[in-house]
Amino acid sequence: MSEQVRPEGIPGVGFEGPFAVGSYAKALQARMRERARVQLFGEVFNMRRGRGAKVYFELRDGDGAVPCSMWRTDFDKLGPAADAIVDGAQIVVAGGPDYYPGSRTSSPSFSFQVTGVRVAGEGDLLAQLDRLRKALAAEGLFEPQKALHRPALPHTIGVVTGEGGKARDDVLAGLRRRGWGGRVVWAFAPVQDRHAAPRVTQALQDLAAHDAVEVIVVARGGGSLADLFAFCDETLCRTVALLRVPVIASVGHHTDRTLIDDVAAVSCSTPTHAAESAVPLHCIDARADVARAAVALQRHGRQAILGRARTLAQLSRAPAEHVARHRGRLHQWLREIRAAGRRGCDRRRKDIVTRAVVLERKVGAAGGPDAEGRRGRLDSLAAAIGAHDPQRVVARGYAMVEDRSGELVTTAQAARLARDVRLRFSDAEVDATISEDT
Amino acid sequence: MDDTTQHTYESATARIEEIIRRLDSGEAGLRETLDLCKEGRELVEFCAGELDAVGQGLEELRLDELVARLEQRPPEAS
Repeated sequence: MSEQVRPEGIPGVGFEGPFAVGSYAKALQARMRERARVQLFGEVFNMRRGRGAKVYFELRDGDGAVPCSMWRTDFDKLGPAADAIVDGAQIVVAGGPDYYPGSRTSSPSFSFQVTGVRVAGEGDLLAQLDRLRKALAAEGLFEPQKALHRPALPHTIGVVTGEGGKARDDVLAGLRRRGWGGRVVWAFAPVQDRHAAPRVTQALQDLAAHDAVEVIVVARGGGSLADLFAFCDETLCRTVALLRVPVIASVGHHTDRTLIDDVAAVSCSTPTHAAESAVPLHCIDARADVARAAVALQRHGRQAILGRARTLAQLSRAPAEHVARHRGRLHQWLREIRAAGRRGCDRRRKDIVTRAVVLERKVGAAGGPDAEGRRGRLDSLAAAIGAHDPQRVVARGYAMVEDRSGELVTTAQAARLARDVRLRFSDAEVDATISEDT
Repeated sequence: MDDTTQHTYESATARIEEIIRRLDSGEAGLRETLDLCKEGRELVEFCAGELDAVGQGLEELRLDELVARLEQRPPEAS
């Protein structure tokens, strides 16, 4: 350590010194450690276990608070009891005040160095919170916000948050993630000290007074339940429950559920999620959906006309197609009939030929070996008959006498009676009249 | 006629889906189809307008700026 040059003190001030601050800090540490070890009781707030060598928390009651620290080795020795030391737990601690003097590179801090702990019961503040939660629920104040209509695509969103907090950036990031580019109205308010509840309440009322604001996000980053206690304020929660505009709460995390989470329309774990919940619609996807719907409508409109026109065209062609189909069928039938006729004729021709052959064979068989002799006898009979033919007699110089009726006149008496006769010679006929002058 | 003025974005998209389901069913006649297409196109235009309203880029205002802006604007004709 380099030796420091001691500067002059402040003129007119009669205090001792000036002393080097490091020396003073160490003296302060020694003085703190000289103080009597005692036991304190109160409610645990802002418990931070972390991963360092110490765990930290505050011990509070209605009149004051003391920051406490405890070596992790001592804390771990508590066993299962350590799990009960959470925000809101009523505990008794043993120990004494200590002061970490810090250095050029580290901050000093005061804490009550805890060497022993006993869990005494649930804290009064948490018990009060639970009673208020039940009372609000019994009055039905958890329901009105949830019954409000939340627009899928709000144009204007009100946001209540701390002006310099990270929650503001998270809200904007959530909105941008939705592809949303509407109007954000900021109503900045403190979000964790004792002024927070009335200011947040006023901001909510101011935002809700404007018709343009369609949904309100109340956002705050994470913190201990003690830090978030402003959002359990009864007036604030009753105001939220009765607002006409839906409120989306994002205060702390799910492990630290505040009353505004219960009365709000929606409770989200982070400001980013709250922003996304404020715009349920993903604008880029929605734009694509609308474009698809436009295409579908256009297609249906076109099909409604073209499809029916096509049907009409088909109907108009139907009669001609029907006739053509029947004509084709008739032609086919005709071809089949002709073919069938040809096949029938051929079959009959073959039958006739076969029968002719059979008959010929039968005729041949019927004639037998005497056929020639019988023919000779027939020829003789024909010659005998021919010999008696009158024409052959006439040809030898005779004549045949017939009356007018063509009957043969064979006697002279018949000739006289007939008077007019016809004389038939071999070459011609001559009419004659019978006269008897004798 | 402009029935879309009565719609919210959600009701408009719900009606568009209903119209497309009806058209997809193939049960609508020619006149009904043409009427539904006309109504659907108007709703699509309404939805596109709503999306355009929140697609111009994020605008940030403080509450007092909103109040001042509203006070400057003449009241809208009812």
